[in-house]
Amino acid sequence: MEKTRISSIQLFMLLSGFLFGSTVILAPAAGAKKDAWLAMIIGGAGGGLLMLVYAAIASLNPSKTLVDILREKMGYVIGNILAVLYIWYFIHLASLVFRDFGEFICTVTFPETPITVVIGFFALAFVYGVNGGVEVMGRMSELLVPVVPVVAFIISLSLITVSDFTAFLPILENGMPPVLNAAFSYITFPFGETVAFLMLFPHLNRKEKLKKTVIVSAIAATVLSIIIFFRDISVLGSELMSRATFISHLTALLFPGFNVDPLLDINLLIGGGVKSAVCVYAATRALSQVAGIEDFSKLTSAVTTFCVVLSVWEYNNVLEILDWTEKVWPYYAIPFQIIIPLVLLFLSLWRKNKPSKVKA
Amino acid sequence: MIRKKDKVFKALLPLLLVLPLLLTGCWNNRELTDLNIVAGLGLDRTDDGRILLTVQVAEPGAIQSSSSGSGGGGGEKSKPVFVASNEGETVFDALRGMLAVVDKKLFFSAAQVLILGERLAQDGIEEVLDFFQRDHEVSYLMDVLVAKGATPDEILRMESDIDDIPAVYIQGTVENNISRGTVKKTMFIDLVKAVDCRGRQPAIGQISKSGDKEIRTEGLAVFKGGKLVGWLDPFETRGYLFARNKVQSAIINVPVDEGKVSLEIMKSKGSVSVAIESNEPSSLIVSVEAEANVGGYEAKGRIDSPESLYMLEEKLGEEIKKEIAMALERCQKEYASDIFGFGTYLYKYQLQCWKKVEKDWNDVFKRLPVEIRVDAKISRVGIVRNPLRKGE
Repeated sequence: MEKTRISSIQLFMLLSGFLFGSTVILAPAAGAKKDAWLAMIIGGAGGGLLMLVYAAIASLNPSKTLVDILREKMGYVIGNILAVLYIWYFIHLASLVFRDFGEFICTVTFPETPITVVIGFFALAFVYGVNGGVEVMGRMSELLVPVVPVVAFIISLSLITVSDFTAFLPILENGMPPVLNAAFSYITFPFGETVAFLMLFPHLNRKEKLKKTVIVSAIAATVLSIIIFFRDISVLGSELMSRATFISHLTALLFPGFNVDPLLDINLLIGGGVKSAVCVYAATRALSQVAGIEDFSKLTSAVTTFCVVLSVWEYNNVLEILDWTEKVWPYYAIPFQIIIPLVLLFLSLWRKNKPSKVKA
Repeated sequence: MIRKKDKVFKALLPLLLVLPLLLTGCWNNRELTDLNIVAGLGLDRTDDGRILLTVQVAEPGAIQSSSSGSGGGGGEKSKPVFVASNEGETVFDALRGMLAVVDKKLFFSAAQVLILGERLAQDGIEEVLDFFQRDHEVSYLMDVLVAKGATPDEILRMESDIDDIPAVYIQGTVENNISRGTVKKTMFIDLVKAVDCRGRQPAIGQISKSGDKEIRTEGLAVFKGGKLVGWLDPFETRGYLFARNKVQSAIINVPVDEGKVSLEIMKSKGSVSVAIESNEPSSLIVSVEAEANVGGYEAKGRIDSPESLYMLEEKLGEEIKKEIAMALERCQKEYASDIFGFGTYLYKYQLQCWKKVEKDWNDVFKRLPVEIRVDAKISRVGIVRNPLRKGE
């Protein structure tokens, strides 16, 4: 196992960057329209709990990665099968992030550049970063992730004069069901996706800080999302917001005087970068463990290439992405994000309590 | 092994250093001189229902030479702008088709104004706005105006002495609204939001010709269901803007002592609401708080006591009230179009009530009684107190 270590601050930055990742461009909980902030509060609380489950699994099985835990609790064969499924899930997730990113750049910044080129260059930087290992990723995010909220605040503050602060009224126009639906999808995207961190948690240098770090980053991500939601709705109004392809971009267009789109692109590069780096890393590590290969970095370029190809193939058009993220993804992700981790937590608690019963 | 790698690297190094020279720009890079920079856009419908698009293109080179050249009448210099128009089935079609007339690609991000034709507005504007929302080059911050009594084509073809680029000149006059309050500055984003908005109809500033060389931006075009239904005059427009809390400054003339006093509005705060009785809207309420200074006293009286100011305050209040009442009267009785956003107020704060009246809100709005509350205040009188007068 890799002997590198990351500090809790670095883990916090990685987690926040990850949570913030694609949500910069694909507004989470958009199904709830005006009440998305309510959905975010509910979903954020649920997501925090879910992340606590992952943290609990990690601290019950210290210095073990997801693959080790799966093998130990489920038996070698089933554990390996599940591990392979997780590898697929991480690769799929990374390719989705690549595609979101490429789609945004191709719609907004470089409409005439082929998406393959955009994603390809993006991925090249990744192979390099991921090969550096978890320590490099930790330091990189420590340096870059703080930029994300700063940019969000700059854009928010400068638009304060054109805002209509009553735009989110009336509250609960269509009742609770859409809000709960959106809250659920907010749990699975982005919070449930942090299941990939089960491959990273063993590298934390001070285990006792794990739960605190996880909770703080969940709160930070939720608060930032809510601030951004209020900014967008008060500037755009709820109807235009629900019609926009990329909400943050449309908001940035209204920045008076000059073009702040590049700032948004930077946010996207950082958030999406951290997210896909973590996913690629998790997939590669898991693959190397399952296949019994010592040096995971040999696999990075292969896995990344596969992600790039998959990302170009998986959708035919931009609306399929939005539709998929909103309607299919939450359910597709349930086994990976909720069911298997809960089973693992249960098994970990059970196996841990059994010997203590014997002792008593 | 490592040495071999180093050797390969050293051999490749020159190649790597040469590569950046080839990567100096975007592959679809276009120079400024290869673009036609569109300053103003005009959109109208022809008799057979096709889109007529007019662009006013600025020539950066010509502007520079005309401003730096010695002012002694440069004679037949190249004109700073040219105007071209083209017909098409859709907006985008008309736009691309224009390249048959114009040599360089049209560049839109710097467009200052979009002028909609009266005919187009009467047929409905919602559909034609789509292209402008969707295209990544169009600025959401350009001003939108509706042309009255002239086609957008005619307005964009006018050559004004005031500014080299007529579109910039038009935009400037709209910007001046900050200090006069007689036209509504409608940016494209405002228009999109207004069409989207529940319980409020869009209204757009009006532009018309004033002589051969000047334009006049004054008044308001009232829409209903995306179609132009009528106009408000400058005073009604100001009443509307007072109610919508959009007046930053304005000059209001008050008849006093066989003359007129000009009061300068320094601050104004307006809001609309609806009174509810047993879950039915019972009356429309407009409340305005305005603060003004005495700007010019062209009458026979004096202002040397607080009482004279109280009297002016009262008259100012009446005047503002009159303008709001005129605007409301016209929108209710003539157009039945709620451009004030009373419906939005209901939707936001009285959802149950709104759901009941939403379907026939236009009719409900039409017959509701109106209550206008104006609280006017005059705080300062300027450098002198009493007006200039001989004798006494």
